[in-house]
Amino acid sequence: MLGSTVINHRQHVGLQELSALAGVTHSFLGPDKTYKFIQDDASGESALVRSCFRLFENLELTCAVGQLVHETIQAHQRVYGTGSGCLLFLAGAWSRAAVECLQRGISVPHVVAAMSEAIEVCEDVCRICSISIEGLGATQSEEGGAATPHGSGLQLSKKSVPRASRASCHKTLNISGQRKIKLSRHFYEAEAKTQPDQPEPPNITYLADALSHGCVDAMNLAVEANRLQSKDNQDVGCSTFDVTKVLTCVVPGLPEERSCVLPGCVVLLSVEQASVALRLREQPVNVALINGDLSHDFRHLGFKRPAGIQQVSDRSALLGSSPEEEWLVKVVALLLNLELNLILVSGLASEKVIQRCCGHRILVVEKAKASVLKAFADATGGVPVTYATQLTKHCVGTGAKVATWRELHESATAVNISARGNGGLVTVVLTSCVRGKLQALEDQFWACAHRLHRALKDRAVLPGAGATEMLCVRRLQKRAGHRSETSGAPTEAEGAVNPYRGEVFRLMADGLIDYVSTVMFNTGRFSKVKARTALRQQLQECNGHVGTAAKFSQVFSEGENEDGAFVSEAKPAGAPSMKVYDNLSVKQEAWRKALDLVLLVLQTDAEVVTGVEQKTAAEENLMLL
Amino acid sequence: MVNEVTCVAIASRICFALVMSRHVKKSPSLCTDRPLDNADICNKLSLLRQLLASCFGPTGRLKQVHNSIGGCVVTTSTSSVLLPAISSAQPFVNLIKSSILNHVSRFSDCGLFAATLCLALVERAKQSGLGGNVAIGLNKHLLGLCVSYLQREDCGCKVKLDFGSSQHLVTLARSIISSKPACVLTEQETLHISKLASQAFLLTLPCANPGTVTLGRTVTASVEGHSVLASAVFPGLLLDVTGALCPHKAESLNSSPMCVVLFSASLAGDLPELGDGIVEVPSGVDTDSQILDQLLELGKQAVKDEVKLFVCQKVIHPVIQQYLRSQGIIVIERLGVTLMEPLIQLTGAQPVATLHSTLPAKAYGKVRDLSIRQFGSKTMLHLHPPGESAICTMVLCHRNETMLSELKVVCQKTENVLRLTLREPSALLGGGCTETHLAAYVRHKSMNEVTETAAVLGCSQSEYLLGVEGFCHSLESVAKALEHNGGNSFIDLTHAHHWTLRADVMSGCMEDMTGLCGCGLVEGSPSRKWTCLNSKYTEFSPASPSRDSPVQPRVLDSFTAKLNALQVAVETANLALDVRYIIQDVN
Repeated sequence: MLGSTVINHRQHVGLQELSALAGVTHSFLGPDKTYKFIQDDASGESALVRSCFRLFENLELTCAVGQLVHETIQAHQRVYGTGSGCLLFLAGAWSRAAVECLQRGISVPHVVAAMSEAIEVCEDVCRICSISIEGLGATQSEEGGAATPHGSGLQLSKKSVPRASRASCHKTLNISGQRKIKLSRHFYEAEAKTQPDQPEPPNITYLADALSHGCVDAMNLAVEANRLQSKDNQDVGCSTFDVTKVLTCVVPGLPEERSCVLPGCVVLLSVEQASVALRLREQPVNVALINGDLSHDFRHLGFKRPAGIQQVSDRSALLGSSPEEEWLVKVVALLLNLELNLILVSGLASEKVIQRCCGHRILVVEKAKASVLKAFADATGGVPVTYATQLTKHCVGTGAKVATWRELHESATAVNISARGNGGLVTVVLTSCVRGKLQALEDQFWACAHRLHRALKDRAVLPGAGATEMLCVRRLQKRAGHRSETSGAPTEAEGAVNPYRGEVFRLMADGLIDYVSTVMFNTGRFSKVKARTALRQQLQECNGHVGTAAKFSQVFSEGENEDGAFVSEAKPAGAPSMKVYDNLSVKQEAWRKALDLVLLVLQTDAEVVTGVEQKTAAEENLMLL
Repeated sequence: MVNEVTCVAIASRICFALVMSRHVKKSPSLCTDRPLDNADICNKLSLLRQLLASCFGPTGRLKQVHNSIGGCVVTTSTSSVLLPAISSAQPFVNLIKSSILNHVSRFSDCGLFAATLCLALVERAKQSGLGGNVAIGLNKHLLGLCVSYLQREDCGCKVKLDFGSSQHLVTLARSIISSKPACVLTEQETLHISKLASQAFLLTLPCANPGTVTLGRTVTASVEGHSVLASAVFPGLLLDVTGALCPHKAESLNSSPMCVVLFSASLAGDLPELGDGIVEVPSGVDTDSQILDQLLELGKQAVKDEVKLFVCQKVIHPVIQQYLRSQGIIVIERLGVTLMEPLIQLTGAQPVATLHSTLPAKAYGKVRDLSIRQFGSKTMLHLHPPGESAICTMVLCHRNETMLSELKVVCQKTENVLRLTLREPSALLGGGCTETHLAAYVRHKSMNEVTETAAVLGCSQSEYLLGVEGFCHSLESVAKALEHNGGNSFIDLTHAHHWTLRADVMSGCMEDMTGLCGCGLVEGSPSRKWTCLNSKYTEFSPASPSRDSPVQPRVLDSFTAKLNALQVAVETANLALDVRYIIQDVN
């Protein structure tokens, strides 16, 4: 008999599970990541992973918290493509903070209220210290390479501190209007006011360097992809980057330096198909776009196959050809009639169709992404159809091109398919001699591409290398009041509302310190203890200055210097110190999601498991309803 | 040939079944005598009570619902989500579960209240040692007292709703929305959603139409990954057309009013349901293309009749879609059954259920205007009604799926509760105040009529007092269930409202109790007297708070839902107390 079971969580098991899950991903933080092997004892299979979302993809988690974490990470990865490690780390760190709160006797609603307030403080800090990408890095050359810690953004803000009026608080940073960032009185974008119509194009190289987070090669590919795409779209400043139109093609067996970016769509084809491609090169070809499978028995989604149909015939069925053969003849005749030479199929094509088409010099390319179909539809005037039999003159796209890019080995050739202008379609070819590394290389590239895409979309970035986190720590600690951690009496007037705010804020801040120190630890230049001591020392030094709002920017710039120090220490000796930036929206969203996870788990006191058999329930000590 | 094979297969299966039935002996039915004396059943009921009571109220704890083989996890504290997940081998648990679910399906709100009260009543009745019949009779009598008091004009825990301002509506909505912490909303977000819910409710009321009034409805669309504050309400209907090929040109959308056709039949091009019958088709006949030709005829007629919007509840054959689009028609497929009714109401179209006749003129509907709206990754087609219409769409946004799904449930619940106010424009004081007030009233009322009522009910006076105590204690335990953090519950000795003190405030210093009672109507003052909720107090007649006081309650509960929940709880408890045997067929 199946029943529902209730697991009571009196020991905050959920929070501990969350913290334990997060612990697995410590080594994926920061620019210096390490690989992890996942091995399946049962099947003997193993996977090599280097990022948080790949790790969870390869783990089979049956516990409820594990599922919740997996869903959250997937959702984040789907939209932002980067930052899931940060998300999970903070979820773990803040769940430890929540456990600590509960152990100190702070009630759940108080923890929830204070933590929600703390995340608002952090988001406010992000808004304040976000730097517009316009004109970023422009001053670099003037100052002879000795980059100021904060680029031009801070220079401006410093100058304008005394002039800024209250009204400027609500001015938006970017008048061109992509994203509205509320300005604090400390950061006043003078340039935006003088030239509202012509936003200065961002310095992509500088920006990309600062966002590469150690993946220099992958970021270079992303920059190149952006450049090619912008050239296609006649966007001189490279001011947008459409990652949906970027494709990757992984090629094993070539050294990593051979990775490159090509306009159009590069696919790996079999020898037979490659020979067709070879014959089609250098001439404009007609293209058909099929949204579905190219096979005889494919039917559109939602089509129900009739069950009770019986074919009645007076002649023997053997005399005629099979329906598949009939279909094949009809389709090929239609394709020839329309003078088609290239067919892009979003699904799969049957082996017979591919072979038959090869014989007629028609190239069939399977598994084309939706964005590829769309780009080809836009560039060639073709109309995507579901069935090949739907094709008419009107649906055929013209002016597509096929070119052999490189013969890789006996069984595969990389062929480049393109159309006039390509509609911004570019392919990044990723190569490696080590097959097991390809996945990680691909992930790295996508992370970089998404970081660049987000920065251009947000039109703003955050100071990286832990600087934003440390500013949040300082702000949280300041709001918590300077008291020893043991004293409980609130001193501030606002403290009366939630007497535990200070304690919770300080624990949240500790979580952020934990994050930065783990990143420092991963560089291999700090021990955990040394990293923490260094961070605490800096905070203490700064606390001497904090107190008045007017001094904030001064402290801020000091914070920048010290954060610059992390980076330079993390770099090999002698290397010039380089600026590091983080994505604004990615960080804010990752923090929010991390806290959402903690709050959901924190407020959960029981699991209801359905479909449990009585036997297992008794074994696992579950309560059966 | 085929037929023979099938027959053989079926015949062999039948033989197998016969063999099986001959070999397996039927087990005798299981009979449980006096189920409430059974420790296992009592433990299960107590577990169910803990499980549901711990969800109760704005600081209630959440439950993660999932199945044993992984799969998605639902985090919730809502009875309508939680209860269906609970399946038990114990008929007693299922009895209570189905009774509560039935209440929730009709009234949406107060499911946890009903469940907690019902289980508390059963537990108390068992503890008190009263005979089943006595307890049942007493509960019935006391329920009658409560119901008639709640329906009285001068009931002290009832508030007449003022439709002149939105304040009461928003408060009512807010009380429901804030009672579900799995939505993870800030104060500001709660208020925003409460206002939207009230606005949506007002939009579904038809204006100035004499005669029969038909209420409209609110359609909910959800968008994941957006801030809650981006949620909004629109008059008319928003259909998700993300990914569908939609006209980019705005001018093609503005030839008002536009003709709409709506199909409830599938246009996928497959054969309609054949049932068990078999269709014999001569070889060489392509059924698919024949059906397609018929569909194309329909399409051609739609073009001829100048249809501009072509909607199908199910799938439309890609060829038809291509044809219609090439004629400048906007095509929407896979609308889903839930959106059919609102779309019919909005456009006045009659859904076409067959493909075998020409489209009748009266099947066509109208829309005034179309526009495209973008919410995050979702593209929505906004249909404006041709005339006065009470259809509106609520777009709910939240950061993640878990919280969004709870928010959706809560908003639908709020909509239903607000509608109930049209039936009975009253609300009950929330925050546990109604429960404590009712308990005090029942104590007072029944003390004054001990002798006569005991005689009528055929029980001794001590039994009567025991029953009253059990009933009132159960009511008060529901109020106490609102507190989950070890705080203490109190009752004031004038109005009998519910008060709580945090666990970390020294207990016993009730005099320091400042602030407000649970519903926010009564303010603490040094002259007030309190007592612990589980302590004995001399009965008194609870006073109604002054009617002309400018103070408005901050927490309100649905009158209709709570009244029904009270009845369901007592009647279900009585039914449970009345069960003498459980007979289970275990085969």
